[in-house]
Amino acid sequence: MPRLLATQSHVVHGYVGNKAATFPLQCMGWDVDCLNSVQFSNHTGYGRDRVFGTCTSAQQLESVFEGLAAFGDYDAVLSGYLPNRESVACMARNYKKMKERQPELIWLLDPVMGDDGQLYVNEDVIPEYEALVTSSLVDVITPNQFELEILYGKHISDLASLRRALEKLHETVPVIVVTSCSSELFGDPSHLYCVASTRGHPATVYRVPVIESYFTGVGDLFSALLLDRLYNTRQDSGSSHLDINQVLDVVQKVLATTLQHSPANIKAAMGSPIEMKLMELRIVESRDHYVQFECPRNFIYRQL
Amino acid sequence: MARKVLSIQSHVVHGYVGNKAATFPLQYRGWDVDALNTVQFSNHPGYGHFKGFRSEASDLQGIIEKGLLGGLDIQYDAVLTGYLPDIEGLRAIGKTLIKLCEKDHRVKWVLDPVLGDNGKLYVPEEAIPVYRDILTHGAVYLATPNQFEMEVLTGVQICDLASLKQSIQQFHELYPRVQNVVVTSVSFHSAGDSISELICACSEQESRRAHYFKVPKIDAQFSGSGDLCSALLLDSFLTQNPAARDLCAALNQVLSLVDSILLNTFELYKASIAAPPLKINDLRLIESRELLKQTTAPKYVPIKL
Repeated sequence: MPRLLATQSHVVHGYVGNKAATFPLQCMGWDVDCLNSVQFSNHTGYGRDRVFGTCTSAQQLESVFEGLAAFGDYDAVLSGYLPNRESVACMARNYKKMKERQPELIWLLDPVMGDDGQLYVNEDVIPEYEALVTSSLVDVITPNQFELEILYGKHISDLASLRRALEKLHETVPVIVVTSCSSELFGDPSHLYCVASTRGHPATVYRVPVIESYFTGVGDLFSALLLDRLYNTRQDSGSSHLDINQVLDVVQKVLATTLQHSPANIKAAMGSPIEMKLMELRIVESRDHYVQFECPRNFIYRQL
Repeated sequence: MARKVLSIQSHVVHGYVGNKAATFPLQYRGWDVDALNTVQFSNHPGYGHFKGFRSEASDLQGIIEKGLLGGLDIQYDAVLTGYLPDIEGLRAIGKTLIKLCEKDHRVKWVLDPVLGDNGKLYVPEEAIPVYRDILTHGAVYLATPNQFEMEVLTGVQICDLASLKQSIQQFHELYPRVQNVVVTSVSFHSAGDSISELICACSEQESRRAHYFKVPKIDAQFSGSGDLCSALLLDSFLTQNPAARDLCAALNQVLSLVDSILLNTFELYKASIAAPPLKINDLRLIESRELLKQTTAPKYVPIKL
């Protein structure tokens, strides 16, 4: 049974962070150690004044990491939302130690900083992620376009600059999946575009139809499924060259299940608690989607 | 729509006790589990070493009252409480849940009064009067003490079937608001004896019908089996038709399923090491997921107590 350590947020109600990642991975047979970087009543999309709970301090995180040293080697480590510079640095220090001791460990870093031009962490977090991305220790990163631009240091306005950004980051990171590109890049607002790129291979553009709603936790579900995919690809073929159709197919099925269970015509909007509650991902109801038996649909659009 | 449960217990990063033992089985059986973690430890203390921290009582209370019930107005079908090591936290959460169950009778509270086991307390002694108080004033739907906890809560030493019956009667007298009680892992032997079976008993406040089961004991100690058992009891009892709830049938199903999971865990451990283990730190819940999916055939015969 493969073992994963996942360091990200915990919400009591709803499905983002570790709550979105853990159950699907467990259904796929992973032994998931969840280290919670915060404990909040619910995610922040309900409105900042409706979130109660606490961030795990860097000292508290460090102490849990010390306790975990007794449990030996993980097959993979993952990190998602960490609330501040100190907690990112703490995760980085501890994951580095593990990776240096055990180079075959897969390290997935989701550099959670913001979206659509807006930062949701303090600016001092940026250099911590930049240092990690250039450390050559991380195996896969899953930035959205905004986060990719931060890590690249330049605005990405067309496909040529996207190619240059990937090329630059591939100097130190073998696998990059850009989880959502701005619709201007492909001139098509009816689809979401996602680019998966493995060093030494041409990058592939995937697209899925846009669903008019506001879902949260999709990125966290995506990175968990991607990690499983990468682990199994390496086990089967020894290569890191990824086909993410299966990952996208599962995500699409979870979104379809979520819509099926919500009252018709509800379109969740930020800050509206009743609607947010109805649009929480139906992670539990999707139990039988995680382990796939049939061939996934093909979401490949073209080579980049 | 999935049934909703608020589960208030400890969290361990590694392994399966408290919320880690309850959440996956309940989710796998279709429950939407809101897991509120009272502590975050690297692993359970049974390993002999662990690191981590506890949540503050006021933070936990804030999450429940201002967040889940106040801001989000969540309608829970059930609340599950287990290990609450902090006295302040226990008092605060007790108060909040007593109020919640008073106001809304749809919420069924399953309370595992975690005090200790085999004659030893794992919580400070001050927790005892707090639990007595909660059981006296709270409309608890089901309490699941083990033998030691039952003895502490009723003051009756359990050494044979007659004293087991007497402790259950005493429990109903002292805590008339508690509707159902299940007493887990009872043995009439003194510590150190080798035991081949354990007794589990159940009784309903209203009818005073009490039954017990003899369950063969696997020769090892499993951490988290009590937490798994109370979570599965919540599922199997509360998903019955409310007009015809049968505690005895629910308990039989759960004991049968837990036995299968413990056996599977035991076999997996045996396969990985040479000597049969006496102490098993981590339940193999993920590898037992196929067992969680099925409806378990009841293995045992209820005997009237």
